Amino acid sequence: MMQFSQNDDPERAIKVHVTQGESHVTTDPQVVMTTVLGSCIAACIRDPQAGVGGMNHFLLPEGDGRGGGDAVRYGAYAMELLINDLLKRGARRERLEAKIFGGAKLFDGLSDVGASNSAFAERFLRDEGIPIVSSSTGGVSARRVEFWPTSGRVRQRLVAVDNAPQDVRRPAPAPMPAASSGDVDLF
Amino acid sequence: MPQASSISVLVVDDQLTMRALIRNALQQIGFKDIREAPDGEEALKNLLAKPANLVISDFNMPKMDGLALLRAVRSHPPIRQTAFVMLTGRADRELVQRAVQFGVNNYCVKPFTVQGLREKIEQVFGPLT
Repeated sequence: MMQFSQNDDPERAIKVHVTQGESHVTTDPQVVMTTVLGSCIAACIRDPQAGVGGMNHFLLPEGDGRGGGDAVRYGAYAMELLINDLLKRGARRERLEAKIFGGAKLFDGLSDVGASNSAFAERFLRDEGIPIVSSSTGGVSARRVEFWPTSGRVRQRLVAVDNAPQDVRRPAPAPMPAASSGDVDLF
Repeated sequence: MPQASSISVLVVDDQLTMRALIRNALQQIGFKDIREAPDGEEALKNLLAKPANLVISDFNMPKMDGLALLRAVRSHPPIRQTAFVMLTGRADRELVQRAVQFGVNNYCVKPFTVQGLREKIEQVFGPLT
């Protein structure tokens, strides 16, 4: 369909940068959501049939990510915001599917916050019955992620640790060339 | 002062994770009689079959949302006195205003802390032991 070739055209894409603590949902096939992740998690959730999708970007506060602590309450709320917005825009809970990214351990010697973030996201989605159709979590590199919410396509690029902006607000990235080296179409 | 353990609670939320978190927080406060429902419709059936002293309900839910549940509770004489605490998001000021019109007892903004939830409940029942 023409729609997909338009989506692939960076000149026509509408980029929405999702920063930490944010959540965005759209039905616009020209929107591509972008984010940069260190130990944070981005959940990309969509309803393929309704053509609606969205992304959040969250970091659990200090905590083990288990049990009923404040960290889990915070994460559950971040997920709930995204899911509620999807449902409001016509998605059906039973059709939702997720892709999750992030949760890296960028620095030695610190607690592995990334691991507890990704463990939380996986457990939350499993408990809520939302299948994870693909994921890229853990490792020692930051990630730049682009997500086309209506098609579900994701492009991820690993970012060198030295250049990794660790979970801080940053302006939207400049439009990238169509085939920049290092980009990998993963899913 | 009322004992938390003597107050029966119905937790209403479509997300299993959120229900588990609320249950966990309630248990930390001292509540023991805790039931759950995944949406307003189930909650209403549950309450009519077995009344509770307190309902803690999410707003966004399928079938019957939190506001519709509140209205239904207030319109059924056997359960109309049930204390009702609504869980809301940060940007839901208008929702809170509507809930107040329909007789909500209090609201709690997510993500909440255990102490925050306790304070909201104590504003309804008085200090809990």
